[in-house]
Amino acid sequence: MAWSRKSAMFASLAIALYLLGLVLRNQQLVTVAVVLLSFLTWAAFRTTNADVSSSGRRMDEEVNSGGVALQNLVALRRLSSARVFEDGEVDVSIRIQNKSNLSKVLEVRDRVPEVMRIKKGANYVLMELGPQRETEIAYTIEAPLRGFYTIGPVCIRIQDTFGLFHNEREIHLYDDFLVFPKMEDIKDALIKSRVPKIFTGAVNIRNPGEGSNFYNLREYVPGDAMKKVNWKATARSGGKLMVNEFERDAVSDIILLVDSRSVSETGPVSRNSLVYSTRAAASLAQYFLSRRDSVGLVVYGDEIVSVDRDTGKKQLYVILTKLAGAMAKGNTPLKVVTNRIMPHINRGSPIIILSPLEDDPTIIEAVRDLRSRNFDVTILSPSSLQFEFDARRLDRTGYELLKTERDILMSELRGLGANVMDWEPDMLLNTALSGARGF
Amino acid sequence: MAEQKSDTAHLYDGKTIRSSAPSRKKAAGKMKGSSEIPKDAIPEVHVPSVIESFFGGPIVTRTKFLPPDRVVQTLQMSAAIILTLLCIVTFTVTPVSGTAWFWLSDLMEIPILGVAIHLLLIGIGFIGGMYGVFQRDQRAILISYVVLILVTIRFAGSKVEFGIDLLPDGEISQKLLLISYALFLVMYIEITSGIIRFSMLDKSIRTGEVYVMNVKKITSQYYRSLLITPIVAGLVALVTLMINLIIPSIVGLLGSDAAADRLAESVELTSVYGVALGTAVVFMIVASAFAVNLPVRLAQMRENGSK
Repeated sequence: MAWSRKSAMFASLAIALYLLGLVLRNQQLVTVAVVLLSFLTWAAFRTTNADVSSSGRRMDEEVNSGGVALQNLVALRRLSSARVFEDGEVDVSIRIQNKSNLSKVLEVRDRVPEVMRIKKGANYVLMELGPQRETEIAYTIEAPLRGFYTIGPVCIRIQDTFGLFHNEREIHLYDDFLVFPKMEDIKDALIKSRVPKIFTGAVNIRNPGEGSNFYNLREYVPGDAMKKVNWKATARSGGKLMVNEFERDAVSDIILLVDSRSVSETGPVSRNSLVYSTRAAASLAQYFLSRRDSVGLVVYGDEIVSVDRDTGKKQLYVILTKLAGAMAKGNTPLKVVTNRIMPHINRGSPIIILSPLEDDPTIIEAVRDLRSRNFDVTILSPSSLQFEFDARRLDRTGYELLKTERDILMSELRGLGANVMDWEPDMLLNTALSGARGF
Repeated sequence: MAEQKSDTAHLYDGKTIRSSAPSRKKAAGKMKGSSEIPKDAIPEVHVPSVIESFFGGPIVTRTKFLPPDRVVQTLQMSAAIILTLLCIVTFTVTPVSGTAWFWLSDLMEIPILGVAIHLLLIGIGFIGGMYGVFQRDQRAILISYVVLILVTIRFAGSKVEFGIDLLPDGEISQKLLLISYALFLVMYIEITSGIIRFSMLDKSIRTGEVYVMNVKKITSQYYRSLLITPIVAGLVALVTLMINLIIPSIVGLLGSDAAADRLAESVELTSVYGVALGTAVVFMIVASAFAVNLPVRLAQMRENGSK
């Protein structure tokens, strides 16, 4: 039985008045003290009635309930789904059973992760539960952020009607669920982009070449191989170097590299580089897997977590699960990651790096290595600098300075032949990808 | 002579080299030059005062309530009635003599001043309490508590004295009046705290923070407790105050009439120390009941009785 602040104040007042009454030989004060003490004692007597013994199980396990017959309060929980996407909803229902012969006034609070929003109903219920009765509490939560989450325990509090004393127990009933990163449909974006098919071609060929079917002409940009220059077209264009572009006629394994170092969580909780990267990785994985391509995933932070290349819907869920659990930790350099994975992937495979490109001096070296081995490197970089600036955590001078550094780095990476996309916070993934081959 | 171009510069002629989207540059240009920290970037930190640290939180919370619902209105009306009765009884059972202001008025040789201060204090308690109850202002309520307790503090003899001479002289009726005064005070404290508690609950219900099932049953339990608990507390207090009659009668039952008579006439037993003895006896019994875990055992018996 726990004392509330109110009961502690009542008791202090009673003792003070009692002693003062004795010192001043004042019966009025002593009488008030005695009444206060009697009031408290009676409330304490009443509260001990509210002894809570309780147990919790999931509703599915309800069948074998022999062991809980002696328990007075039982909580059972059911979730509508154990896997949802960001901004998805989970319906939770808790059944509370009072197996005693006494009516009880209960405060029931089902503990929900802090980031969750209660969309409908309430997870905090005050109720009067009659003897041998049960009731059901239902509420809906919205999951705005990816991750592994646990609902529970169920906290039950019984207190006297005056709120002087209470008994509190936690029913250790936990339910886990998974929130996958939100996915955007990027199909349209890729069709509408200047080069409609980034990685088009026949499927199920694991050792592709550069591609042979002519697609179109475009201006030369630094990093293009000189052998691609179309000299006739250059002559016609009045001095502008023009290069041939080819359709890829085979698809290699696509590797998604997600940067989950601690720096990637810079910015607000719901708007940071890691959140954007995981969403982009999920969308890209869905897109490529829907084309029956083979997709692998590497998440690097304090350690390197990889999902081996595979195809199909099952692979999508494996990737989504890894992305859901990606935590911003550690500072593994990109070079370490590329050194580790390079021997295991086919040359020329498209590699998509999702990283804020910060706090890693090995980026240029790593990309140079990849490019030198003919890997097609695409970097999608959500700017954590921009997140911080938008959240007004960075002053203008600092922002300008860091932005310049970032721009220089991106230019260098572009110079190495990587496709670098600067992904601004307000830009949809579709929009960011539309500019994928814009240089 | 024309400036010598670098060997790759011609590749960029006529091209727009874009390192970042124009919108960002625009946004950066619009930002103010000041590097001071924006106000909304500094989290609000409440440093508790010494009193708050001592009590584990603020004594009075600064909560804004929604308009009172029916339960709160009922409690407000009850509190107002009890406060009125309490003020009347307080005036009745607390004489001016023996108080600090009585001493002051005596010193200044203005006898009416003591009475005026006494009435003023009761008036402040009444007006402050009424304001606090209907405005749900916890500070005003707290002031009324303090004032209504302060008004009873007096350096008095052991004998019970009342503010009005017309009151009954009988010991039992005097003690009943004292108990009713104490009960009104305790009930006033409880009901005013109930007003705040139910207002908070009502706000939580209306904002969807908490859902209440069977509201009527919960409130009816509260009303029932408001009736039962004072009766029980009053009975316990009566037993405590009547110890000067109970002990001699027990001694008389044991066969020593002379000792019983002597005890009944004992000044100590009829004084405040008799009440102290009574309190000690009664609460020793209560403490021993708790020590043997009697309430829990009774509860277990009730819970498992008909299984």
